[in-house]
Amino acid sequence: MDPTTVIALICSAIVFAGWLVLPHSATVKPRVVSEERSEVSVSA
Amino acid sequence: MKIDSGDTAWVLASAALVMLMTPALGFFYGGLVRRKNVLSTIMHSFFILCLISVQWVLWGYSLAFGPDKFHVIGGLEWVGLNHVGLTPNADYAPTIPHQAYMVFQMMFAVITPALISGAFAERQRFKAFVLFSLLWATFVYDPIAHWVWGAGGWLHNLGALDFAGGTVVHISSGVSALVAALVLGRRLGFGKEKSEPHDATMTILGACLLWFGWFGFNAGSAVTAGTLATSAFVVTNTATAMAALTCMTVSWYHKRQPSVLGAAAGAVAGLVAITPASGFVNVMGAIVIGFGAGVVCYLAIQLRERIHVDDALDVWAVHGIGGTWGALATGLFATIAINSTAANGLFYGNPKQVLIQLVAIGASWGWSIVGTFAILKLVNLFVPLRVQEDEEVLGLDISQHGEPAYAL
Repeated sequence: MDPTTVIALICSAIVFAGWLVLPHSATVKPRVVSEERSEVSVSA
Repeated sequence: MKIDSGDTAWVLASAALVMLMTPALGFFYGGLVRRKNVLSTIMHSFFILCLISVQWVLWGYSLAFGPDKFHVIGGLEWVGLNHVGLTPNADYAPTIPHQAYMVFQMMFAVITPALISGAFAERQRFKAFVLFSLLWATFVYDPIAHWVWGAGGWLHNLGALDFAGGTVVHISSGVSALVAALVLGRRLGFGKEKSEPHDATMTILGACLLWFGWFGFNAGSAVTAGTLATSAFVVTNTATAMAALTCMTVSWYHKRQPSVLGAAAGAVAGLVAITPASGFVNVMGAIVIGFGAGVVCYLAIQLRERIHVDDALDVWAVHGIGGTWGALATGLFATIAINSTAANGLFYGNPKQVLIQLVAIGASWGWSIVGTFAILKLVNLFVPLRVQEDEEVLGLDISQHGEPAYAL
């Protein structure tokens, strides 16, 4: 196996293995915006 | 010389693919700026497509690829495409019409100054941008293109390897972008107000269209439809994908979540880095180049933030540093097994190639810095480079073009 191939395999392993140890979900929770409509008074 | 219809078809199709990259860049940048500047940002790319299309046929192609003068510039013998007809030119592409090669190269000349526009987004006066682009294309891009790709160019004679423009396109534009960002100064509110991309989906679309068009950029640079184009196509896709994965992973580790825009920027960094190497490396080399691009460009972005330089869209980090890494990596991983007309790199028993690449990198950095600084100062004598404060607050779409992007 030539050196380029060895380095390529190491790089790939770093990236793929890295995913196993990274956080499962975002640590910054998004602000939830309510979907419910608020009542608006309408003149007759 | 006999014209090959397959080669001609591929080069013309590639020219169209590379042409698409310029509006794609407009979208990539456009999504990253604030809503009040998106039309201006897209206009930078669209306008340059028109400007350089004319400049190139008038004098640009002659300066870049014309008969050599002292190994530093082409002559004016080909002004107005004089002597650039439909018979092949043996120096550049012996199996396609000369004008096919010319129009393919035109699209490279178009996108290179367009790349710089990301650095001064949201604050450059349009008139100054017009003058700057014309002068930069003529006095920075055309000479560097001649050095590296022109018959008789001194870097070409030295043996510098740059298959599709790591030095000519990306180092020149990326380094020039840094100079422009420093000369124009920071945007109002930089460092105090957070400037969010107004449309990340536009940016992702732009990145995908860039990726698509880049197959023409790299594989088209083979100027033949055969094994070399195929190899360039495969390594381009591989390096890009690897860079996107790497950049996303690094941002995931650093910021604790995988950034979508980080993945897109990583893909572009991979495209940049593989550009000079695409006709000389194999797929394993492409993986390493992509990995390196993902890491190096991410670090460059962090560095740029840390030193508070307002290169608005990270042109230097992605193109300047990405192109530098790619040019250097070409000297490491090039192999004549892929391209027998080239040279081996360090990992294939030829350490001298690294030195040659360093000379090309240094020359590109140097001329880009000097030329861009001089041109900006010259333009500023005639028209202010920046818009006024109230125009910047209002937004360039209205202040420069009188048109809003969205009727909301």
